[in-house]
Order: sequence, then structure tokens, then C-alpha cells
Amino acid sequence: MTAANEPYILNIGPQHPSTHGVFRLRVAMDGETIVDMDMIVGYLHRSMEKLAEERTYTQNIPFTDRADYLAAMSGNLGLCIAAERLTGVEVPERAQYLRVIFAELQRIASHAMANGTLVSDAGAWQTPLLYMFREREKILDLFEMTCGARLTTNYMRIGGVAFEPPAEFWPALRELVDELPDRIDEYSQLLIDNEIFLARTRGIGVISAEDAINGSLTGPALRGSGVPWDLRKAEPYDVYDRLDFEIPVGRGGDVYDRFMVRFEETKQSTRIIKQAIEQIPDGPHKTQIPLALRPEPGEVYGRIESPRGELGFYLVSDGSPAPYRFHIRAPSFINLSLLRQLAVGSTLPDAVVTLGSIDIVVGEIDR
Amino acid sequence: MSSDVKSRPATPMLREILEQPTLLGGIRSTPLPVRLGLAVFALGFLVVNVAIGVLVVSGRLDGHWYDFRDLGNATAALRSWLDDRDLGPWLSYWVTALIGGVGILSFVGGVLLIGTWVERRLLAKFQIRRGPNRVGPFGLLQPLADALKLIQKEVLIPIGADRKLFFLPPILIFIPAMLGWGPVPWAPNMAYLDVNVGLLYVVAISSLAVLAIFIAGWSSNNHYALLGAMRTVAMMVSYEIPVSLSLLSVVLFTGSLQLSEIVAWQSTHNTWLAMILPFSLFTFFFSSTAEINRTPNDIAEAESEIVAGFHTEYSGMKAGLFLAVELGNALLVGALVSTFFLGGYSLFGLEEWIPPYLILFAKISAVYFLFVWLRGTLPRFRLDQLMGYAWKFLIPLSIAFVGISAVEASIFARVDAPGLIVLGAIGIVNVVLTFVLVRAWARVVGYEVPRGEDTRPTLTTAVGGLRAAQRLRVTP
Amino acid sequence: MESTGIIVAFWVLAAVTVAGALGVIVSRDLLHAIFFLILSFLGMAGLFITLSADFIAVAQVLIYAGAISVLLVFAVMLTPLVSRDNGNSLYVAPGALAGLGLAALVVFVAVDTEWAQLSGDALAARSFPDTVATIGDLLLGRYVLAFEVASILLLFALLGAIVLVHERRADAAAGAADTPANREEAA
Repeated sequence: MTAANEPYILNIGPQHPSTHGVFRLRVAMDGETIVDMDMIVGYLHRSMEKLAEERTYTQNIPFTDRADYLAAMSGNLGLCIAAERLTGVEVPERAQYLRVIFAELQRIASHAMANGTLVSDAGAWQTPLLYMFREREKILDLFEMTCGARLTTNYMRIGGVAFEPPAEFWPALRELVDELPDRIDEYSQLLIDNEIFLARTRGIGVISAEDAINGSLTGPALRGSGVPWDLRKAEPYDVYDRLDFEIPVGRGGDVYDRFMVRFEETKQSTRIIKQAIEQIPDGPHKTQIPLALRPEPGEVYGRIESPRGELGFYLVSDGSPAPYRFHIRAPSFINLSLLRQLAVGSTLPDAVVTLGSIDIVVGEIDR
Repeated sequence: MSSDVKSRPATPMLREILEQPTLLGGIRSTPLPVRLGLAVFALGFLVVNVAIGVLVVSGRLDGHWYDFRDLGNATAALRSWLDDRDLGPWLSYWVTALIGGVGILSFVGGVLLIGTWVERRLLAKFQIRRGPNRVGPFGLLQPLADALKLIQKEVLIPIGADRKLFFLPPILIFIPAMLGWGPVPWAPNMAYLDVNVGLLYVVAISSLAVLAIFIAGWSSNNHYALLGAMRTVAMMVSYEIPVSLSLLSVVLFTGSLQLSEIVAWQSTHNTWLAMILPFSLFTFFFSSTAEINRTPNDIAEAESEIVAGFHTEYSGMKAGLFLAVELGNALLVGALVSTFFLGGYSLFGLEEWIPPYLILFAKISAVYFLFVWLRGTLPRFRLDQLMGYAWKFLIPLSIAFVGISAVEASIFARVDAPGLIVLGAIGIVNVVLTFVLVRAWARVVGYEVPRGEDTRPTLTTAVGGLRAAQRLRVTP
Repeated sequence: MESTGIIVAFWVLAAVTVAGALGVIVSRDLLHAIFFLILSFLGMAGLFITLSADFIAVAQVLIYAGAISVLLVFAVMLTPLVSRDNGNSLYVAPGALAGLGLAALVVFVAVDTEWAQLSGDALAARSFPDTVATIGDLLLGRYVLAFEVASILLLFALLGAIVLVHERRADAAAGAADTPANREEAA
């Protein structure tokens, strides 16, 4: 097959096992090598940001569930943090701890999904994915106990959280946190020193620290390239400044590094949850706020560290109950922008693995 | 309260899964009369088996048509009976040919049906799932239900496909998968096509599958299919060489291309060629996984890259045929690995007691289990890695081992010592040589075992930008 | 050739072989032509089997149907104008002439040879030796020189092919910049 005079066009997606949603790659290939690539997004566009301008701040929280549907808690948290900054609503201490616990549980679940699908992209016949789903399932069970939903949680509120977790939540959470380190060791036996997996991921899709910063990458994609940047440390929100944890930083910036950073973050999240369980005080779980919250006219940018990176909400208020402008800085979208640079010149399997390691959620990209 | 929480499954779905019937639970819940009936049946089964054992020991079975240990005796008796009737040689020829052919086809067909269920159940066990358990007892009828579903589906032919050629591959690919079973000996007199070039025949037949795959990929008019076909063709061309070279060592030792002779050699020397030729076994097994698209070498239908590879455009039972052939090929490779390297139907004299075809079937199942295990565990290689592995690693080392086994085989033929001792010595030498040569050659090629430790993430509490990154890079 | 089975097999296989060969000439699509060629090869292998030449038959399948055809497929795929049909060429007249000449030669030799015709008891009494062993002995005994020369010739062909297509480093660097996108820009 020669591409010397006719580039071999391959349409990967919008329905394809490894595009992680309805995302489309239009790839020009020379044999197995990729010579050019277009990324086509927008298949999941629901006009979220425009719709949000017609709803109150609290009514907008369900949208954040559906933006990054694999990390709904983080989306909730991001909007609440931004809205609280805009309105100046105080959050009770217990609510702040609850938020940290749920955000970290969500991080574990999301990273489990990301790493599992990455290994599936590398060709393992779903075994690691299903192993990781075991823990994710338990976390989603915890969510279901607390707020009745597994995926679209709609749990956080401006000024706190919606519900106090039920009594059986705490023993189940402790059990989960106790067994998680063992489970993580199990995965490491299966994957971390697996020679085939290393051969497929080491030295593939390398992003240098400079490129990562220039591409405004955030999250594990940035930390995998060796830049120690994490909003939970750099700009602590809620009670992260009272909790003791470390941020893992990769060395080479390749697919394996991003995988390992996620892996290590799972361990650190377990650590955070353990401390939060110890420290959590009694008290109210939310501040009462008026139904139609009317912030002063002004604008605010609130950001948190979601599992995929810096999740920012830019809100402009004109004094009415609905935001005048509602913009989401979606980490997946910005992280994805580097894919073309990484994929062109590599082979198709490498591009698939690289895409998997960037860990996109199309709901968040298209919004 | 906490203990109550622990014992209660958290969600209705989980509860439903846990309430599925299990084997032990099924036995416990069976009513007593049924259990008694089963016990009587088991006892009867035992008695019959002991009786058969006595019959075997007494030697009254040997060579008669009712000697069930070798179904070949029955057909031979039938043949001589027909010859005695003087109806012409063609009748006995056709009758025995039909019996053998139907026997092989029905065996393979039956195993294919059970095999899909076995594979899915095993994979489910590896993946902490339960697998198909709804249709029939333990989900055993699931393959039938799947086949029915596939047959009912609409047959789609893509626009721009080469219609005539598009029709052929599902049929063509079945032919080598079935013909390959011909020379496999199931018992001393139980080989359908025991030609004296059996080994070459197997290699030749297996090389034909590539054409069907290529036609499938080409005629679909689909870029994924064509990529998959090109990958398959490239792999098959590369991996046929190590397969042939590894089998050459087998031929050097056994001195025959006839499969029944190869098994007989292993049986008379009370050894498995796997012990004498470990590298050949590995080469054959690994290359076979590449040729039949099993993990870790299933790049021709890597679903995360090229969807389903060469059979992307096939729907309904045509796709079902491709999947069935994939499974059938795994079983065929199991049969060949058993025959060439694991002693075939023989098991150190035990074949006098247990019907040899059951021994062979057990060995096939073991190899097949290994395939499923690999599929449930390993990620996939990349095309260039696989090709490099074949050309830079397997082929040079295979050539070296052909030379080594030629020397050893000639030593074995000349030395006047008990065969087992010589073969044992050769086996030990070969195991050592395999380790030494593989490591040495890996060093020559410049391959290093990748180690994950070098890129384990650094843990830090200080945040920063590029400068912090550079500092981090210097300190560890 | 007493048994009817063999005679039927011969005619069927001969028909397949000839039909395949005709298909190669007639078909307009290059790939169809290759598949017809494979059919012809397989028919030939069957003919060898009817002659009890087991090794040659298997070698025919292994080398021609299995390997050479794949090479042909590769060659066609690597040709830029794959989709162009098997059209007229300049060589029709010389090709036909050469073909006719070859056919005449074969017919002449076939007619002229004194065939050892065996039938009945003579055929039954004749034991067919294991052709593999015989061929092996001959190749590594009497014809060892020809065998070695052939293998060295093939080795050199292989090396020559590698040398021909091997890009030198400077060329490789130049080739890397020569992507379709760049070429489009240049044009």
C-alpha cells in the first residue's frame, strides 16, 4: 500500500472502540505511520454554556455532572467553588471535609477508569479495566448511598453539600479505604512491570516539560512531564491545606509516566480520605442560601484540580439570579490540543495509546 | 449496625449477581430423591469403569473392533468386512473416508460450540465476572443462542465492495481450519490422513488461510479491513519461517515427517520433545499465536486500533464463521503443539488404560487454556515490535537451534547408550543453551529488558513551574 | 490409471488448472488474476497428488499457493496504480508467440518421450518409494552442488534487494520531509 501519491485516509470515530466517546480523528497514513491528523470534535455538543445563562447558579450544577461525566463530583465542586467566590457564601467545615472526601473518591474512580481504558487501548482484553471497575463500582455504590445517583451525582451545593451521608456510609468507606492499597498492589503486579505493557508505553507520546507548559496542559498530563503543579497544593481550596499529601511527578513525560502518575495519585487520594475521615468535625453540612441567589455584578474565575486537570469556571454576574456568562475551562479539551503534535510521525497503535493516556472525556470537550 | 452493613450487598444489581445459582448451591438445593438418584448413578458409573478396567487388564479387548481405546480398530474391521464382501475397493474406501470426515467435522463443530462458552466463562473468571449463565444450565446454550442470532441477521454488503470476492472468504477460511485436522493422530490407528509428509502438509495448509484473510480485507472496500489484511499478511509471511524452523528440529530428532511417527518416537523414547527442544516449543507456540491472531499477537484484529481488522465489514453468520475459525485454529494449534511437542496421544504408557484420544483432547484443552489465560492477561504488541521480534530474534536463534539439534540428533543416533540418558543429557544441554543463547543474542541485538522502576514518579510537596521541574529533574 | 476415482480426479483437477490459467489471462482485475493463478496452482498440486508425488504436491501448495502468491499480492499492493485494470499491453504479440513456442515444446517432448506405461499387475507390483527421503538424499547427495548454488543465488538476490531499497541516512532525512502535506504545499 503506497501513500506516496494517495494518502490513505482513515476515519477513526466517531464510533470507534478507542476514541473514548464520540470523538473523531481523521488520520492520513503512510502504511502504519501517521503523516497527518485532524481532530474533529462537537458530536456531543449540547450548548451547555448557553443554556446555563437561563438558569440560576444552583440549577446549573446538574450541567456540570454531564460535562465530565466520569468525574461529576469534581464538576459540582468546581462550579460551587466559583459561585461561592462570586457570592461570598461561607461553607461549613464539615461540608468542606465531605467535599474533599467525595472529590477524592471521584478522583480514584476516574483514574481507575482512565488507566483501565488505557491498558485496554494497549490491547489487554479488558481484564485490567474490569479489575479497576471493581473499585470504581464500590465508590459509585458509596455515591449511590449518599445522593441516590451513581454517575450524575448533583451532590455539591453552593455553601455545602446536598445531603449528610447515611450512617452505613462511614463503615463502608473505611472498609474501602483499608482495602484499596492491597488492590493497588494487585494492579501493579499485573501491569507495572509487565514487559509488553512497558514496551508499548515507554518512550511513546513524549511531552517535554516545556511543551506541556506551552500547551497549557494540566493534571496528570502535565505532572507526567515532570512539572510539579497541582491546584490542591498551589491554590488550596476547601481543606486541602490541612491534609498531608504529596503530588507524584513523572520523569520522562511518556505514556507510562502519565499512567504511573495516575496510579500514584490514587494512593495519595486514599491517604487524603483517611486523614479526612479522622479529622471531620460535626456540624451542619450546608449553609442556607436564598433560592434565587443574586450575586453582585462582577466576574470570577474559580478553579479546582479535577482528575483531568485544571477545571475552571468563569462566571459573569449582572446582578440577576442567572449568570450573564458561564464558561467552562475544560481540561480534556486543552490537553487534547497536543495530540496532533504527538501523533504525527508515530504509528497508529502508538497514537491510540497516547490518546488513551491523555484521558479525555468527550462530554467535557464538547460541553 | 456496622456488621449488618457489611453483610448486605450495597446495590440491587450486586445483590442479584450474588444470588445467581452456583454449582455448590445448586447441589444443596436439589431435593433428596434427585440427590439419591445421582449418587446411584455415580456408583453405577464407578462400577462400569472398574469393569472396563478389568476388561482392559485381561487383554480381551486388544485389537478387536469393540476396542474402544482406538476407534480406528472399528473402522479397520468394517473395512475388511466390506472387502470380504467383494463389492469393489471403492466402497470400503468411501465408507471409511466418510466416517472419518464426518467424525472430524462433528468433533470440531461440537468443540467449537462448547469452546466459545468455555472461553467466555474462563475469561469471566479471570476478570472477576460471571460470564454467560442465563441460557440453559450454566449458560451452556449461549453459543447456540448466539449462532441463531447471527444466522437471523441481515447480510450487509458494503457499497463498492467486490461482491464476488466478498462472498468467498468466510468459506475459504474454513477449509484450511478443517483440513489441518486431517493428519493429527488420535490413537495409533486413528489418524484420518496419515500421509508421510504430514508435517509439511500442516504447514502448507495453514499458509493458505492468509489468502482468505487477504481477500476479505481487500474486497471489503474498507480501510480498517485493508490495514488488518496487510498486517495479517505481513505477520504470516514473517512467522511462517520460525514455525518451519522450529518444526525442522522436531523432524531432525524423530526422522520423519509423518505425524503418527513423531508421536510414536516420543512414545517409544518415553519423552516429550518439549523437554528436549524447549526453544522450538516456545517458537512454535509464539509464532502460532501470531498466525492465528491470539493475544498478545492479535494485531490483525486489534479492536482498539482497527476495530475488527479484516472482517470489519462482515455481518451476521459470516462474521460468526470468522470468529468460529479463530477458535478452531486455536484448538488446531493446541492439537499440533500436543502432537509435536507434548507426546500427542501418548502419556508414558498410560495410553493403554485411558483412551488415547481423551489424552490428546486433555492436552489440547490445556494448550487452549493457556491461550485463554494469555488473552485474559497480556496487552498486545505493536506491529513493528512483532516483526522485529520475528526477524531479529526468532529467526536467527531458530537457525542456530536447528544447527544445534542437527548435531545432537546425529550424536543421539550414533551413541550406544540408553536412549533416556542421552536424551536427558541433550535436554539439559538445550535448556542451558536456550537461556545462554537468548540472553547473549538479546545483548547482541541491543535489547534491554524494560524496567518500570526508572520512571516511577517522584513524590513532592513543593509546587512550581518549569524551574521546579528542572530542580526536580536534577535532585533525584 | 485404472481406478475410476483417479480418472475423475484427473479430469476435474485438469479442468480447474486450465480454467484457473485461462482466468488469469481473461480477468480484467489484477487481483482477480492473482486469485485465479492460485486456483491454478492448487489444481496443479492436486495433479501431483494423483501421481503419488506427495512431497512435490505439498511443496507446490506451500511455495506457490502459500508464498509466491502472497509475494504477488504484495507486489500488486505496492504498485501505485492498483486500481488500474489488467489492460492491453505492448507485449501481446511476443507473449503469445512465446506461449505458443513453449506449448509446442511441451507437446513435442510429451509425444516424443517413451513413457513407461504400467497397468494392472505391473502397477500393483510397483511400490512407490517415499519421495521425501529420495528427494532429500538426492538434494544433499548427488545434486548438492546445484542445491548450494541455488541457495547462494537466492541469498544474493535477498541481499541485493535489501541494498537496492536501503535508504542512506541523508536520503532518509530528505525523505522524512517529503510528506504528502509538504508536497501539496509545494504544489
